[in-house]
Amino acid sequence: MASRTLPLSKRGMTFETFMWAFTRFTVIAMYGLIIAGIIGGLIVSAQTGSNLGDVLYWAFFPNMAENPLGVSWMTWLAKLMVIAFVLTACGHGVHGVLEIWDDYFISPISRRWARNIVITYAILASLVAIFKIWTA
Amino acid sequence: MGLKRNVPLFTALGYKGQGPFLAFIMHRIGGSALFIFFTVYILALVGVPSMQGLMRNWAFQVLLLVFGLFHAINGLRITILDLWPKLIERYRTVINIEWAVYVLAAGFAIVVVLRGAFGG
Repeated sequence: MASRTLPLSKRGMTFETFMWAFTRFTVIAMYGLIIAGIIGGLIVSAQTGSNLGDVLYWAFFPNMAENPLGVSWMTWLAKLMVIAFVLTACGHGVHGVLEIWDDYFISPISRRWARNIVITYAILASLVAIFKIWTA
Repeated sequence: MGLKRNVPLFTALGYKGQGPFLAFIMHRIGGSALFIFFTVYILALVGVPSMQGLMRNWAFQVLLLVFGLFHAINGLRITILDLWPKLIERYRTVINIEWAVYVLAAGFAIVVVLRGAFGG
């Protein structure tokens, strides 16, 4: 089977092409954040004598666990990383959900509504997550 | 636009595409599961007690791992094939490697969750 590649200039910058690229870049960013998060978590847990699992649990659920790092630059860095991860995950998921919904919503008007609903939901959920993680 | 497909799930699962087709279906189910998980996560962050309880539930965690890990590993495979299209010539081999990695990773993660839930 021959491999086929098409340069971006010949694909045309439609909404679909843009979202395809956006989805790819966000997922690469997520893998990068996962690796950086695990390495960073190992470093700060070693420096503070805390458990890596506790650090990760608190980072994602700051309202459900005690901060094992104390108030320091590590706390702000962890919060920034979790916020970045949630934002990239949310951005990545928007197009995925739309692709699935497009198979079931056939008419142009229902597809437009599906698109509006998902994007609105993603923006609202992201804002809530940023606020709760940063202020907890 | 859109196709009219009246194919029952079990007929679809028996489709001869096998590994690659199953990977496609699992990726979609995994993505949908992660979308639900994301909603539960946001509600838990807001402070809804039932959602916080759900996040701590071992069965929910196992389901999340089964689908979430597959979505992540299959997504990595798709990204790698996008970046190195030559590998498409070894498509079936790549899919088989992906399944092997998934079974090992998911198996390990599930054992860890169940050991945490039931002790031992």
